[in-house]
Amino acid sequence: MSEINQSYEKLFYEALRIRLVEEKIIELYPHDKIQSPVHLSIGQEAVAVGLCSQMKLDDWLFINYRGHAFYLAKGGPLPELFAELYGKRTGLSKGKAGSMHLAAPKHGVMGASAVVGSTISHAVGAALASKIRGEDRSFVTVFGDGATEQGAYHESLNFASLHNLPVLFLCENNGLAVHSPLGERQAFSLTAHAKAYGVESAVIEDGYDFVKLSAICGKVLGQIKNKQRPMLLEVKTCRYKEHVGPGEDFEAGYRELKEIQAWKAKDPLEFDKELIARFTPAISEEINAAVEFAETSPFPTIDDLLTDVI
Amino acid sequence: MSTTKKMKYREALAIAMAEAMEDPRSLLIGQGVTDFKGIWGTTTGLPQKFPKRVIETPLSEDGVAGICMGASLNGMYPINTHIRADFGLLIFNQLINLAAKYRYMFGGLFEVPMMFRMVIGRSWGQGAQHSQSFQSLLGHIPGLVVIMPSNPQSIIQSYRHARKHHKGPVVMFEHRLMYELEFEDKPNQDLLNPFGSRIDREGGDLTIVATSVMVLEAARAADYLSQFGINAEIIDLHSISHPDNDLIFNSVKKTGRLLVADTSWLPYGVAAEMSRVIAERDPAILKQPIKSLGMQPAPCPTAKTLEDFYYPDVRDIVNASASLVHGGDDHSVPLPPKQAMTDFYKHFKGPF
Repeated sequence: MSEINQSYEKLFYEALRIRLVEEKIIELYPHDKIQSPVHLSIGQEAVAVGLCSQMKLDDWLFINYRGHAFYLAKGGPLPELFAELYGKRTGLSKGKAGSMHLAAPKHGVMGASAVVGSTISHAVGAALASKIRGEDRSFVTVFGDGATEQGAYHESLNFASLHNLPVLFLCENNGLAVHSPLGERQAFSLTAHAKAYGVESAVIEDGYDFVKLSAICGKVLGQIKNKQRPMLLEVKTCRYKEHVGPGEDFEAGYRELKEIQAWKAKDPLEFDKELIARFTPAISEEINAAVEFAETSPFPTIDDLLTDVI
Repeated sequence: MSTTKKMKYREALAIAMAEAMEDPRSLLIGQGVTDFKGIWGTTTGLPQKFPKRVIETPLSEDGVAGICMGASLNGMYPINTHIRADFGLLIFNQLINLAAKYRYMFGGLFEVPMMFRMVIGRSWGQGAQHSQSFQSLLGHIPGLVVIMPSNPQSIIQSYRHARKHHKGPVVMFEHRLMYELEFEDKPNQDLLNPFGSRIDREGGDLTIVATSVMVLEAARAADYLSQFGINAEIIDLHSISHPDNDLIFNSVKKTGRLLVADTSWLPYGVAAEMSRVIAERDPAILKQPIKSLGMQPAPCPTAKTLEDFYYPDVRDIVNASASLVHGGDDHSVPLPPKQAMTDFYKHFKGPF
């Protein structure tokens, strides 16, 4: 087997694992055991897998409410994820976070906010702290296309460029902010805008291609460190599901089913039946054990209600 | 014989900042921290001594507050300055949605120790957007510590305590009117909880709970009232978010009368909270209904004639106190002339 194929298989495994985890969430959702709004990454897994395959443990990642994929790709533990979704005390955040606020600081997952764009500046501040101490680390913030309309995104780009900070701004551009298409929201080009701040950018059109994503992410992560400069990476991707929840909402009419079908035709997680068949049993076993852990874990009690407030 | 030390409010802030910067974790960041005015001299000299850790910012309050969050997550102690609290409104997303919640929301995985200095303006035409006093908005939010220091000692102690012992976000509301005022050391202040409420003056006839600059105005009123046989006990609330409710309740139990003098609007504010504390514990301790003084229910006007009506002054405190003690407005205590704080202290000349 060639080096590229090995890499393909390894990345495929990681991406498939994320998809099967989220499909398990969909399966469990009607039982009402997961009482937390889920924003699924199905269709977008390759972005998380490609990026995290190139990040070191002490490279920090700041994520958002659509965060299952990044949490898992960066090494966040699966049983604690399901326990968190179940609102159990054994969840990473003791059931106080749920789906929208995933974090695993030991693995460099430094928190997710459900307010769009509000952790972008955190990556810049963390990079500033490391620069002051003279550390050789890089910082990544991931956000959707909607977040680029927030003032904090512009402020963060400016500050990171002004202070020469090694921050990768990674935009998962699925073309939708909740249900609003890009054309109704943006009068600017993302890359031209970044250029105005002196920030170099790269664009990946085929955001399903995790091998390509991994290679480019490795390159840009190396570049931000070597040059001690921020970069923008825009990845075109595709959200297969509704904005929030386990279903699909093509009947709502805000987007075309055929666009999704065209994307799916290129998505290895859809067409590579051989690898799906080969990897699914082991992944399913891991997922079932994680769900069992969540099922059998205790709920938090009144003793937990007022801990960690200040 | 002990000598009485005198210090300006501004000098205490400069000491607190200089002391903070000796700690290599501290990051002093905000609009104006490196300029020639240095937040009225409270950061002067520090950019030269600590060039990497004293950082001028773009006018990007929201972004900078998030940068403080990230720096705090990565081991720094950010001190973020806002030369008017009104500009601090632009950081409320980071402060309320993120900083206040990061410890709890992640089940204790994160701590975000940091400090926000917000300066309340008053007089010389500060007007509607350079004068607001948002302590009760922030005191409402679980996860925040909100402090209003009323003198240099409490600045030095509470700023040091915040840095060394508190693991979360602290908002310090400083009052511009006090910056140039000189204070004498208060005895026994060293023994106090740096984040706690404190008795500023003992008395048996009524309790005045005051915040920030109103502690000074209450002291003036108490001096005046003492000529007419009325002894006011003054509680410097100091901590807006975590007031010492036992201290307040026990004082009111002793005096039977409560006047609250705050720097902000009354509805849902400090006076409302103090009233809740008494009403829920035991309203029967009150000999008279509670009285409260604060800003008039309007945005702050710029014209001095209007502004003098807008803020309560020593005359209002004397009148309210005498009414409480004598059971009505027909008390026999002659009122002092109406005099705005700025006219009395004559230190704040503007323009900013």
